[in-house]
Amino acid sequence: MDPSLPDALRKVLPEMDLWKCHQCGQCSGVCPSFQHGGIRTREIIERASVGALELSKEPSIWLCMMCQGCTERCQLGVDPATVITLIRNLAAEVGNRPDHFAEEARLFIDTGLSFPKTGLTKKLRKEMGLDELEVDPSSLEDLKVIVGITRLGRVKLER
Amino acid sequence: MNDEFYLFRGCLIPTRLPFLERSSLLVLDRLGIRHELLPGATCCVEPIGLRSLALDTWLVVAARMLSIAESGGKDILTLCNGCYVSLKEARHALESREERDRVNSILAELGMEYKGKADVHHLCGIVKDMESRVRSCVVRPQQDFRVAVHPGCHIVRPSAVTGIDSRFSPHVLSDIAKWVGSEVAYSEDWPKCCGGGISGINEEISARVLEDSVSDFRNAGANSILTPCPFCFAQFDLKQKEGLPVLYLSELLALSFGASPESIGMKYHRTKVVF
Repeated sequence: MDPSLPDALRKVLPEMDLWKCHQCGQCSGVCPSFQHGGIRTREIIERASVGALELSKEPSIWLCMMCQGCTERCQLGVDPATVITLIRNLAAEVGNRPDHFAEEARLFIDTGLSFPKTGLTKKLRKEMGLDELEVDPSSLEDLKVIVGITRLGRVKLER
Repeated sequence: MNDEFYLFRGCLIPTRLPFLERSSLLVLDRLGIRHELLPGATCCVEPIGLRSLALDTWLVVAARMLSIAESGGKDILTLCNGCYVSLKEARHALESREERDRVNSILAELGMEYKGKADVHHLCGIVKDMESRVRSCVVRPQQDFRVAVHPGCHIVRPSAVTGIDSRFSPHVLSDIAKWVGSEVAYSEDWPKCCGGGISGINEEISARVLEDSVSDFRNAGANSILTPCPFCFAQFDLKQKEGLPVLYLSELLALSFGASPESIGMKYHRTKVVF
Protein backbone atom coordinates (compact mmCIF):
# COMPACT_ATOMS: atom_id res chain seq x y z
CA MET A 1 0.00 0.00 0.00
CA ASP A 2 1.15 3.50 -0.68
CA PRO A 3 -0.91 6.07 1.22
CA SER A 4 1.21 8.89 -0.16
CA LEU A 5 0.16 8.12 -3.75
CA PRO A 6 -2.90 10.41 -3.91
CA ASP A 7 -0.77 13.34 -2.72
CA ALA A 8 2.01 12.46 -5.13
CA LEU A 9 -0.48 12.40 -8.00
CA ARG A 10 -1.96 15.70 -6.90
CA LYS A 11 1.51 17.17 -6.86
CA VAL A 12 2.40 16.15 -10.43
CA LEU A 13 -0.98 17.15 -11.82
CA PRO A 14 -2.83 19.53 -9.50
CA GLU A 15 -5.85 19.95 -11.77
CA MET A 16 -6.31 16.21 -12.16
CA ASP A 17 -9.89 14.96 -11.91
CA LEU A 18 -9.15 11.49 -10.56
CA TRP A 19 -11.47 12.02 -7.60
CA LYS A 20 -14.47 12.65 -9.80
CA CYS A 21 -14.60 8.96 -10.74
CA HIS A 22 -17.97 7.29 -10.02
CA GLN A 23 -16.66 3.82 -10.82
CA CYS A 24 -19.05 3.41 -13.77
CA GLY A 25 -16.61 1.12 -15.58
CA GLN A 26 -16.82 2.56 -19.10
CA CYS A 27 -13.02 2.73 -19.09
CA SER A 28 -12.69 -1.00 -18.52
CA GLY A 29 -15.56 -1.73 -20.90
CA VAL A 30 -13.70 -0.23 -23.85
CA CYS A 31 -10.22 -1.43 -22.80
CA PRO A 32 -8.69 -4.01 -25.18
CA SER A 33 -6.16 -5.06 -22.56
CA PHE A 34 -8.84 -5.67 -19.91
CA GLN A 35 -10.80 -7.87 -22.34
CA HIS A 36 -7.87 -10.27 -22.34
CA GLY A 37 -7.01 -10.22 -18.66
CA GLY A 38 -4.63 -7.23 -18.70
CA ILE A 39 -5.06 -3.95 -16.84
CA ARG A 40 -8.21 -3.34 -14.73
CA THR A 41 -8.51 0.38 -15.29
CA ARG A 42 -11.55 1.07 -13.12
CA GLU A 43 -9.92 -0.72 -10.22
CA ILE A 44 -6.59 1.06 -10.73
CA ILE A 45 -8.36 4.44 -10.65
CA GLU A 46 -10.14 3.54 -7.41
CA ARG A 47 -7.00 2.19 -5.78
CA ALA A 48 -4.92 5.18 -6.87
CA SER A 49 -7.49 7.59 -5.44
CA VAL A 50 -7.20 6.05 -1.98
CA GLY A 51 -3.53 5.11 -2.14
CA ALA A 52 -4.14 1.35 -2.20
CA LEU A 53 -1.58 0.65 -4.87
CA GLU A 54 1.97 -0.49 -4.33
CA LEU A 55 3.90 1.59 -6.83
CA SER A 56 7.11 -0.35 -6.64
CA LYS A 57 5.43 -3.67 -7.43
CA GLU A 58 2.11 -3.37 -9.27
CA PRO A 59 2.76 -5.07 -12.64
CA SER A 60 -0.63 -4.47 -14.32
CA ILE A 61 -0.03 -0.73 -14.85
CA TRP A 62 2.34 -1.71 -17.69
CA LEU A 63 -0.36 -3.67 -19.54
CA CYS A 64 -2.08 -0.52 -20.83
CA MET A 65 -1.53 -0.02 -24.56
CA MET A 66 -2.29 3.72 -24.44
CA CYS A 67 -5.06 3.43 -27.02
CA GLN A 68 -6.81 6.26 -25.12
CA GLY A 69 -10.20 4.59 -25.47
CA CYS A 70 -10.86 5.05 -21.73
CA THR A 71 -10.12 8.76 -21.87
CA GLU A 72 -12.42 9.09 -24.86
CA ARG A 73 -15.31 7.26 -23.20
CA CYS A 74 -15.08 8.67 -19.66
CA GLN A 75 -18.12 10.85 -19.04
CA LEU A 76 -16.60 12.65 -16.07
CA GLY A 77 -13.32 13.82 -17.54
CA VAL A 78 -11.16 11.64 -15.32
CA ASP A 79 -8.75 10.98 -18.24
CA PRO A 80 -7.67 7.51 -17.10
CA ALA A 81 -4.91 7.28 -19.76
CA THR A 82 -3.16 10.29 -18.25
CA VAL A 83 -3.71 9.02 -14.70
CA ILE A 84 -2.10 5.71 -15.71
CA THR A 85 0.77 7.58 -17.36
CA LEU A 86 1.39 9.53 -14.15
CA ILE A 87 1.21 6.38 -12.04
CA ARG A 88 3.77 4.82 -14.40
CA ASN A 89 6.01 7.87 -14.02
CA LEU A 90 5.93 7.53 -10.23
CA ALA A 91 6.37 3.75 -10.39
CA ALA A 92 9.35 4.04 -12.76
CA GLU A 93 11.04 6.37 -10.29
CA VAL A 94 10.90 3.66 -7.61
CA GLY A 95 12.20 0.98 -9.96
CA ASN A 96 8.98 -0.53 -11.32
CA ARG A 97 9.34 -0.37 -15.11
CA PRO A 98 9.65 -3.01 -17.84
CA ASP A 99 13.21 -3.67 -19.04
CA HIS A 100 11.84 -3.20 -22.55
CA PHE A 101 11.09 0.49 -21.90
CA ALA A 102 14.31 1.05 -19.96
CA GLU A 103 16.23 -0.24 -22.96
CA GLU A 104 14.29 2.09 -25.21
CA ALA A 105 15.13 5.00 -22.92
CA ARG A 106 18.86 4.17 -22.95
CA LEU A 107 18.78 4.04 -26.74
CA PHE A 108 16.95 7.36 -26.86
CA ILE A 109 19.49 9.07 -24.61
CA ASP A 110 22.48 7.58 -26.48
CA THR A 111 21.31 7.94 -30.08
CA GLY A 112 18.35 10.34 -30.09
CA LEU A 113 16.16 7.60 -31.60
CA SER A 114 13.99 5.02 -29.86
CA PHE A 115 14.65 2.28 -32.39
CA PRO A 116 18.14 0.99 -33.20
CA LYS A 117 19.91 1.79 -36.44
CA THR A 118 21.06 -1.69 -37.47
CA GLY A 119 23.00 -3.16 -40.36
CA LEU A 120 19.68 -3.84 -42.05
CA THR A 121 18.68 -0.19 -41.59
CA LYS A 122 21.81 0.89 -43.45
CA LYS A 123 21.32 -1.67 -46.20
CA LEU A 124 17.66 -0.81 -46.76
CA ARG A 125 18.24 2.94 -46.68
CA LYS A 126 21.03 2.64 -49.24
CA GLU A 127 18.94 0.44 -51.48
CA MET A 128 16.01 2.84 -51.27
CA GLY A 129 18.27 5.79 -52.14
CA LEU A 130 17.80 7.44 -48.74
CA ASP A 131 20.26 9.40 -46.59
CA GLU A 132 22.20 7.76 -43.76
CA LEU A 133 19.90 8.98 -40.97
CA GLU A 134 22.33 10.90 -38.79
CA VAL A 135 21.07 12.61 -35.66
CA ASP A 136 23.23 15.69 -35.35
CA PRO A 137 25.58 15.82 -32.34
CA SER A 138 24.26 19.15 -31.07
CA SER A 139 20.76 17.63 -30.79
CA LEU A 140 22.22 14.82 -28.68
CA GLU A 141 23.85 17.46 -26.46
CA ASP A 142 20.46 19.16 -26.11
CA LEU A 143 18.88 15.84 -25.10
CA LYS A 144 21.53 15.31 -22.43
CA VAL A 145 20.76 18.70 -20.93
CA ILE A 146 17.00 18.02 -20.97
CA VAL A 147 17.32 14.52 -19.51
CA GLY A 148 19.67 15.84 -16.80
CA ILE A 149 17.03 18.29 -15.58
CA THR A 150 13.89 16.19 -16.02
CA ARG A 151 12.45 12.95 -14.67
CA LEU A 152 14.04 10.58 -17.18
CA GLY A 153 17.41 11.42 -15.64
CA ARG A 154 16.15 10.06 -12.31
CA VAL A 155 14.77 6.75 -13.59
CA LYS A 156 17.07 3.81 -13.00
CA LEU A 157 17.69 2.42 -16.47
CA GLU A 158 20.21 -0.30 -15.73
CA ARG A 159 18.96 -3.87 -15.63
CA MET B 1 2.32 28.18 -42.29
CA ASN B 2 0.76 25.57 -44.49
CA ASP B 3 2.20 25.31 -47.98
CA GLU B 4 5.61 23.97 -47.03
CA PHE B 5 6.39 21.55 -44.24
CA TYR B 6 9.16 20.25 -42.08
CA LEU B 7 9.04 16.50 -42.60
CA PHE B 8 9.45 14.64 -39.32
CA ARG B 9 10.25 11.01 -40.07
CA GLY B 10 10.22 9.69 -36.52
CA CYS B 11 12.14 6.53 -35.58
CA LEU B 12 10.29 3.41 -36.67
CA ILE B 13 9.94 4.27 -40.36
CA PRO B 14 13.53 5.40 -41.01
CA THR B 15 15.17 2.62 -38.96
CA ARG B 16 13.04 -0.46 -39.62
CA LEU B 17 10.72 0.43 -42.48
CA PRO B 18 12.71 2.70 -44.82
CA PHE B 19 10.65 1.48 -47.75
CA LEU B 20 7.70 3.37 -46.25
CA GLU B 21 9.84 6.51 -46.25
CA ARG B 22 10.55 5.90 -49.95
CA SER B 23 6.86 5.67 -50.89
CA SER B 24 6.00 8.62 -48.65
CA LEU B 25 8.57 10.83 -50.39
CA LEU B 26 7.22 9.75 -53.75
CA VAL B 27 3.66 10.61 -52.73
CA LEU B 28 4.63 14.01 -51.27
CA ASP B 29 6.48 14.87 -54.47
CA ARG B 30 3.68 13.75 -56.80
CA LEU B 31 1.11 15.68 -54.80
CA GLY B 32 3.31 18.76 -54.89
CA ILE B 33 3.63 18.93 -51.11
CA ARG B 34 6.83 20.85 -50.50
CA HIS B 35 8.95 19.65 -47.62
CA GLU B 36 12.37 19.55 -46.06
CA LEU B 37 13.65 17.54 -43.10
CA LEU B 38 13.11 19.08 -39.67
CA PRO B 39 16.57 20.22 -38.55
CA GLY B 40 17.76 18.87 -35.21
CA ALA B 41 15.10 16.14 -35.10
CA THR B 42 15.22 13.41 -32.45
CA CYS B 43 12.60 10.89 -31.33
CA CYS B 44 9.32 12.76 -30.64
CA VAL B 45 9.36 10.91 -27.34
CA GLU B 46 7.52 7.78 -28.22
CA PRO B 47 4.14 8.15 -26.51
CA ILE B 48 3.48 4.65 -25.12
CA GLY B 49 6.66 3.53 -23.36
CA LEU B 50 9.11 6.40 -23.20
CA ARG B 51 6.53 9.03 -22.31
CA SER B 52 5.26 6.72 -19.58
CA LEU B 53 8.66 6.89 -17.89
CA ALA B 54 8.91 10.65 -17.78
CA LEU B 55 6.15 13.05 -18.79
CA ASP B 56 8.21 16.17 -18.20
CA THR B 57 11.05 14.87 -20.41
CA TRP B 58 8.51 14.21 -23.15
CA LEU B 59 7.08 17.71 -22.95
CA VAL B 60 10.42 19.49 -23.13
CA VAL B 61 11.77 17.31 -25.96
CA ALA B 62 8.59 17.81 -27.99
CA ALA B 63 8.58 21.54 -27.25
CA ARG B 64 12.17 21.75 -28.44
CA MET B 65 11.21 20.40 -31.85
CA LEU B 66 8.08 22.52 -32.09
CA SER B 67 10.22 25.55 -31.31
CA ILE B 68 12.73 24.61 -34.05
CA ALA B 69 9.82 24.36 -36.50
CA GLU B 70 8.39 27.71 -35.52
CA SER B 71 11.78 29.42 -35.86
CA GLY B 72 11.87 28.11 -39.43
CA GLY B 73 8.32 29.29 -40.06
CA LYS B 74 6.91 25.90 -41.08
CA ASP B 75 4.45 23.37 -39.68
CA ILE B 76 5.53 19.79 -38.97
CA LEU B 77 4.38 16.88 -41.14
CA THR B 78 4.57 13.42 -39.56
CA LEU B 79 4.23 9.96 -41.08
CA CYS B 80 3.39 8.20 -37.82
CA ASN B 81 0.38 8.15 -35.49
CA GLY B 82 2.75 8.01 -32.51
CA CYS B 83 4.74 11.10 -33.50
CA TYR B 84 1.51 12.84 -34.38
CA VAL B 85 -0.17 12.30 -31.02
CA SER B 86 3.03 12.96 -29.07
CA LEU B 87 3.62 16.36 -30.70
CA LYS B 88 -0.07 17.26 -30.82
CA GLU B 89 -0.58 16.46 -27.14
CA ALA B 90 2.50 18.50 -26.30
CA ARG B 91 1.03 21.50 -28.11
CA HIS B 92 -2.17 20.99 -26.17
CA ALA B 93 -0.38 20.72 -22.81
CA LEU B 94 1.64 23.84 -23.61
CA GLU B 95 -1.50 25.92 -23.94
CA SER B 96 -1.30 26.13 -20.17
CA ARG B 97 0.67 29.25 -19.24
CA GLU B 98 2.22 27.50 -16.26
CA GLU B 99 3.46 24.51 -18.30
CA ARG B 100 4.76 26.80 -21.01
CA ASP B 101 6.76 28.90 -18.56
CA ARG B 102 8.21 25.83 -16.89
CA VAL B 103 9.21 24.29 -20.25
CA ASN B 104 10.60 27.58 -21.52
CA SER B 105 12.80 27.92 -18.46
CA ILE B 106 14.47 24.66 -19.51
CA LEU B 107 14.52 25.49 -23.24
CA ALA B 108 16.25 28.76 -22.35
CA GLU B 109 19.31 26.72 -21.38
CA LEU B 110 19.41 25.56 -25.01
CA GLY B 111 18.85 29.08 -26.31
CA MET B 112 15.33 28.24 -27.46
CA GLU B 113 11.80 29.40 -26.73
CA TYR B 114 8.42 27.81 -27.42
CA LYS B 115 5.72 30.22 -28.57
CA GLY B 116 3.21 27.81 -30.05
CA LYS B 117 3.18 28.99 -33.65
CA ALA B 118 3.98 25.77 -35.53
CA ASP B 119 1.22 23.21 -35.87
CA VAL B 120 1.54 19.46 -36.45
CA HIS B 121 -0.03 17.44 -39.27
CA HIS B 122 -0.22 13.78 -40.22
CA LEU B 123 0.17 12.66 -43.83
CA CYS B 124 -3.38 11.30 -43.64
CA GLY B 125 -4.72 14.68 -42.53
CA ILE B 126 -2.94 16.50 -45.37
CA VAL B 127 -4.05 14.05 -48.07
CA LYS B 128 -7.68 14.14 -46.93
CA ASP B 129 -8.00 17.73 -48.16
CA MET B 130 -6.52 16.96 -51.59
CA GLU B 131 -9.20 14.87 -53.27
CA SER B 132 -8.98 16.38 -56.73
CA ARG B 133 -5.18 16.37 -56.72
CA VAL B 134 -5.09 12.73 -55.60
CA ARG B 135 -7.64 11.68 -58.22
CA SER B 136 -5.72 13.48 -60.96
CA CYS B 137 -2.51 11.61 -60.04
CA VAL B 138 -4.07 8.14 -60.27
CA VAL B 139 -2.81 6.34 -63.35
CA ARG B 140 -3.24 2.79 -62.11
CA PRO B 141 -6.45 2.35 -60.10
CA GLN B 142 -5.97 -0.23 -57.34
CA GLN B 143 -9.12 -2.24 -57.91
CA ASP B 144 -7.72 -5.54 -56.70
CA PHE B 145 -7.56 -4.42 -53.09
CA ARG B 146 -10.56 -5.01 -50.84
CA VAL B 147 -9.16 -3.20 -47.86
CA ALA B 148 -10.02 -3.31 -44.20
CA VAL B 149 -9.44 0.22 -43.04
CA HIS B 150 -7.50 0.57 -39.78
CA PRO B 151 -6.84 4.22 -38.81
CA GLY B 152 -5.00 3.30 -35.60
CA CYS B 153 -5.81 4.82 -32.23
CA HIS B 154 -3.97 8.10 -32.38
CA ILE B 155 -5.44 9.46 -35.57
CA VAL B 156 -8.66 9.90 -33.59
CA ARG B 157 -7.84 9.70 -29.88
CA PRO B 158 -7.77 11.76 -27.77
CA SER B 159 -10.33 13.56 -29.93
CA ALA B 160 -9.90 16.77 -27.94
CA VAL B 161 -6.40 16.97 -29.42
CA THR B 162 -6.17 15.07 -32.72
CA GLY B 163 -8.99 16.14 -35.01
CA ILE B 164 -8.14 14.43 -38.32
CA ASP B 165 -11.32 12.36 -38.36
CA SER B 166 -14.47 11.71 -36.37
CA ARG B 167 -14.00 9.59 -33.25
CA PHE B 168 -16.96 7.34 -34.11
CA SER B 169 -17.09 5.80 -37.59
CA PRO B 170 -14.10 7.65 -39.03
CA HIS B 171 -14.21 7.86 -42.81
CA VAL B 172 -11.09 9.70 -44.03
CA LEU B 173 -9.03 6.62 -44.81
CA SER B 174 -11.98 4.90 -46.54
CA ASP B 175 -12.49 7.99 -48.68
CA ILE B 176 -8.85 8.00 -49.77
CA ALA B 177 -8.97 4.28 -50.59
CA LYS B 178 -12.01 4.85 -52.80
CA TRP B 179 -10.38 7.80 -54.60
CA VAL B 180 -7.65 5.45 -55.83
CA GLY B 181 -10.10 2.78 -56.94
CA SER B 182 -9.93 0.30 -54.06
CA GLU B 183 -12.93 -1.32 -52.47
CA VAL B 184 -13.50 -0.85 -48.74
CA ALA B 185 -14.54 -4.21 -47.29
CA TYR B 186 -14.52 -3.17 -43.65
CA SER B 187 -14.23 0.01 -41.71
CA GLU B 188 -13.97 0.18 -37.92
CA ASP B 189 -16.72 2.06 -36.09
CA TRP B 190 -14.49 2.47 -33.07
CA PRO B 191 -10.86 2.46 -34.22
CA LYS B 192 -9.32 -0.57 -32.64
CA CYS B 193 -5.96 -1.06 -31.04
CA CYS B 194 -3.49 -3.28 -32.93
CA GLY B 195 -1.98 -4.55 -29.66
CA GLY B 196 1.40 -3.03 -30.51
CA GLY B 197 1.54 -1.01 -27.29
CA ILE B 198 2.43 -4.02 -25.18
CA SER B 199 4.40 -5.92 -27.79
CA GLY B 200 7.60 -6.66 -25.87
CA ILE B 201 5.78 -6.44 -22.52
CA ASN B 202 3.14 -9.15 -22.77
CA GLU B 203 3.14 -11.00 -26.09
CA GLU B 204 0.10 -13.09 -25.27
CA ILE B 205 -2.29 -10.20 -24.66
CA SER B 206 -0.75 -8.26 -27.54
CA ALA B 207 -1.41 -11.18 -29.92
CA ARG B 208 -5.01 -11.58 -28.74
CA VAL B 209 -5.77 -7.89 -29.21
CA LEU B 210 -4.28 -8.11 -32.70
CA GLU B 211 -6.39 -11.17 -33.50
CA ASP B 212 -9.56 -9.33 -32.37
CA SER B 213 -8.98 -6.76 -35.10
CA VAL B 214 -7.87 -9.10 -37.83
CA SER B 215 -10.68 -11.62 -37.35
CA ASP B 216 -13.20 -8.85 -38.06
CA PHE B 217 -11.27 -7.95 -41.21
CA ARG B 218 -11.22 -11.55 -42.43
CA ASN B 219 -14.90 -12.13 -41.70
CA ALA B 220 -15.79 -9.07 -43.74
CA GLY B 221 -13.97 -10.51 -46.76
CA ALA B 222 -11.03 -8.09 -46.81
CA ASN B 223 -7.93 -9.18 -48.73
CA SER B 224 -5.66 -6.53 -47.24
CA ILE B 225 -5.37 -3.95 -44.45
CA LEU B 226 -4.83 -0.22 -44.98
CA THR B 227 -3.28 1.86 -42.19
CA PRO B 228 -1.60 5.27 -41.83
CA CYS B 229 0.39 4.14 -38.77
CA PRO B 230 3.81 2.44 -38.98
CA PHE B 231 3.38 0.82 -35.54
CA CYS B 232 0.14 -0.82 -36.65
CA PHE B 233 1.85 -1.68 -39.95
CA ALA B 234 4.69 -3.46 -38.15
CA GLN B 235 2.30 -5.29 -35.86
CA PHE B 236 0.13 -6.52 -38.76
CA ASP B 237 3.09 -7.31 -41.00
CA LEU B 238 5.16 -9.22 -38.44
CA LYS B 239 2.80 -10.64 -35.86
CA GLN B 240 -0.18 -12.15 -37.66
CA LYS B 241 -0.08 -15.90 -37.94
CA GLU B 242 -1.77 -16.47 -41.26
CA GLY B 243 -1.96 -12.91 -42.13
CA LEU B 244 -3.64 -10.47 -44.38
CA PRO B 245 -1.09 -8.31 -46.15
CA VAL B 246 -0.94 -4.73 -44.91
CA LEU B 247 -0.46 -1.51 -46.87
CA TYR B 248 0.75 1.72 -45.34
CA LEU B 249 -1.17 4.73 -46.68
CA SER B 250 1.68 5.99 -48.88
CA GLU B 251 2.12 2.56 -50.48
CA LEU B 252 -1.46 2.40 -51.75
CA LEU B 253 -1.19 5.97 -53.04
CA ALA B 254 2.21 5.34 -54.68
CA LEU B 255 0.95 2.20 -56.42
CA SER B 256 -2.05 4.07 -57.76
CA PHE B 257 0.26 6.88 -58.93
CA GLY B 258 2.06 4.29 -61.09
CA ALA B 259 5.03 3.31 -58.89
CA SER B 260 6.12 -0.30 -59.28
CA PRO B 261 6.04 -2.48 -56.14
CA GLU B 262 9.81 -3.04 -56.56
CA SER B 263 10.64 0.68 -56.65
CA ILE B 264 8.95 1.24 -53.28
CA GLY B 265 10.53 -1.79 -51.64
CA MET B 266 7.41 -3.88 -51.17
CA LYS B 267 9.47 -7.04 -51.26
CA TYR B 268 10.47 -6.13 -47.71
CA HIS B 269 7.00 -6.85 -46.39
CA ARG B 270 7.06 -10.00 -44.27
CA THR B 271 3.48 -10.79 -45.21
CA LYS B 272 3.75 -10.50 -48.98
CA VAL B 273 1.31 -8.51 -51.05
CA VAL B 274 0.44 -10.62 -54.09
CA PHE B 275 0.08 -8.69 -57.34
